[in-house]
Amino acid sequence: MKTIVLGIGNPILQDDGVGLHVIDALRQRMNNPMVTIETASTGGMNLLDMIRGYEKVILIDAVKQNDSKPGEVKRFLLSDFHTVHSSNPHDVSLSEALHLAKQLGEKHLPSKIILIGITVNNIYEFGEHLSSEVASAVPTAVALVLEELKNT
Amino acid sequence: MKTITIDPITRLEGHGKITIFLNEQGDVENAYLQIPELRGFEKFSEGRRAEDMPQITSRICGVCPVAHHFAATKALDAAFHVDPPANAKKLRELLYCGYIIYDHILHFYFLGGPDFVVGPEAPAAKRNILGVIEKTGVDVAKDVIKHRAYGQRITAILGGKATHPVCGLPGGVSKGLSKDEVKEIKDMVASCNTFAKFTLNLFDDIVLKNKAYVDMIRSDPYILKTYNMGLVDKHNKVNFYDGLIRVTDQEGNQLEKFEGKDYTKHIAERVEEWSYMKYPYLKSIGWQGLSDGKKSGIYRVGPLGRLNASDGMATPQAEKEYKRMFDTLGGKPVNSTLAFHWARLIELLYATERAKELIEDADITSTHIRNPVGTPGEGIGVVEAARGTLIHHYHLDKNGLIVKANMIVATTNNAGAITMSVRDAAKGVIKKGQVNDGLLNKVEMAFRAYDPCFGCATHTLPGGLPMTVNIYNHQKKLYRTFSQP
Repeated sequence: MKTIVLGIGNPILQDDGVGLHVIDALRQRMNNPMVTIETASTGGMNLLDMIRGYEKVILIDAVKQNDSKPGEVKRFLLSDFHTVHSSNPHDVSLSEALHLAKQLGEKHLPSKIILIGITVNNIYEFGEHLSSEVASAVPTAVALVLEELKNT
Repeated sequence: MKTITIDPITRLEGHGKITIFLNEQGDVENAYLQIPELRGFEKFSEGRRAEDMPQITSRICGVCPVAHHFAATKALDAAFHVDPPANAKKLRELLYCGYIIYDHILHFYFLGGPDFVVGPEAPAAKRNILGVIEKTGVDVAKDVIKHRAYGQRITAILGGKATHPVCGLPGGVSKGLSKDEVKEIKDMVASCNTFAKFTLNLFDDIVLKNKAYVDMIRSDPYILKTYNMGLVDKHNKVNFYDGLIRVTDQEGNQLEKFEGKDYTKHIAERVEEWSYMKYPYLKSIGWQGLSDGKKSGIYRVGPLGRLNASDGMATPQAEKEYKRMFDTLGGKPVNSTLAFHWARLIELLYATERAKELIEDADITSTHIRNPVGTPGEGIGVVEAARGTLIHHYHLDKNGLIVKANMIVATTNNAGAITMSVRDAAKGVIKKGQVNDGLLNKVEMAFRAYDPCFGCATHTLPGGLPMTVNIYNHQKKLYRTFSQP
């Protein structure tokens, strides 16, 4: 199965960049030419361009959930998220972008999209470092991605 | 000594929230849109190598990376006392046109346009690109996707990378254009020009031929008589990449025109005790609270601000459309917030025409694209982001490290106006404690016209920008809450 692992995040907004930190750690752990590993600091429509042509997509991103402590790692399916808006008011959400692509008859869309989400703390202050709770969650997230890749 | 205590609910924070305060009669006293502010940029920048700023600042915002990249690059030109070669300026401006093309297309079809194309009364779930497809057909949607991608592709060719360019250096750019790339860009630009004209026709058919929409555009809750601001060229025509900052008044006359480097002489920022937001205003006029009119120094930037602050567009097709807009809406300036959408499409057309001029320039493949830098000092760079005037200001030490950095971003420039537009829209739908249907739509339409960016944790899942409107009664007790997932 043609697979892409895509870490998403803003590298200068502290915990928001956790997806990028997971990718750094992952690159040291694996070397599989069948799996593309990429990072992105962007949203809906641009992400769609990046995942087009892959069968399986593993996204790694920061998650803000009111009922969770920072540093929890969770596996989601894209369908777990229902949203009208993107978190960025100038873009659409990935679900919306995918829906649009389907509507337009796009044939090369992934059949499986998995999200590895890390709950975060500080995303409103500039900085390149993760908070300690979130940093300690990185190995867990890496393990979860590797586990996910076994099934491809 | 008198002690002033600030009630916690009057001090605003958080995000994606609108707070409305009612008076004793149950009418709207005040309403505020809360925009999350990213903190610590100055501290973060201190001690960094100045030449890293175009890369760093393009990460500040997932919405306008190209604008930040070039505001930073231009600030570095000034800080290193270097004037880039003519062709470097052309390449930067061409890249910039690509950015305006994709950004304005995205806003019209995905974000602001659905309010009109699908209709302001349609349920929120329909007011999006999918609703637009239902109404206009799949072929239009395919064209939207194609031309948005063309804009992105132009920026990727010139910038060396999609979305976040890496080409801007003090004194020029790092990458020129090959003959093959010129051919590819020419074809894309021609197609974008046709699509821009198509989009203006669509706007005519759907919006301007619908009396109810035109009445809404002209209706009181959406009128704001502020000053207007934008960059202009030497003929006072709109320019995104370079020029002087021009400010016009409520009659369309020039109030002031100044170089970006003098911005602190003309613009001040007001901090209100109840908000973490800063409200910029014109120093020569002064701060009169959140009010419009000649005595209030609040101004508007962005597509409508730019068109109002200029004497026209520098390209023929866009100039024609510029005149048509002002003729149709009763002359200059146009004060209707919803006219931002029309102005945005005229700018889209301009960007395609300007890109054509630049790519057809005989010297565009010249390899003289960088000049050597001088000694480091202080520098200010100004560009027009898609959503308005953007200013970067750096102080460098003798080793070229950042000592101090300051920015005024487009949405901050519009902060006072956005807040007033939200308040006026709320006044239109809340009377004597009665909240009419369509509150969320009407209020959302008021701020969406400005295409604001609310800070930049752009992709944190679940990807929701839930809109919550909290209404407080005159005793500052929560009266009602409306929200939209």
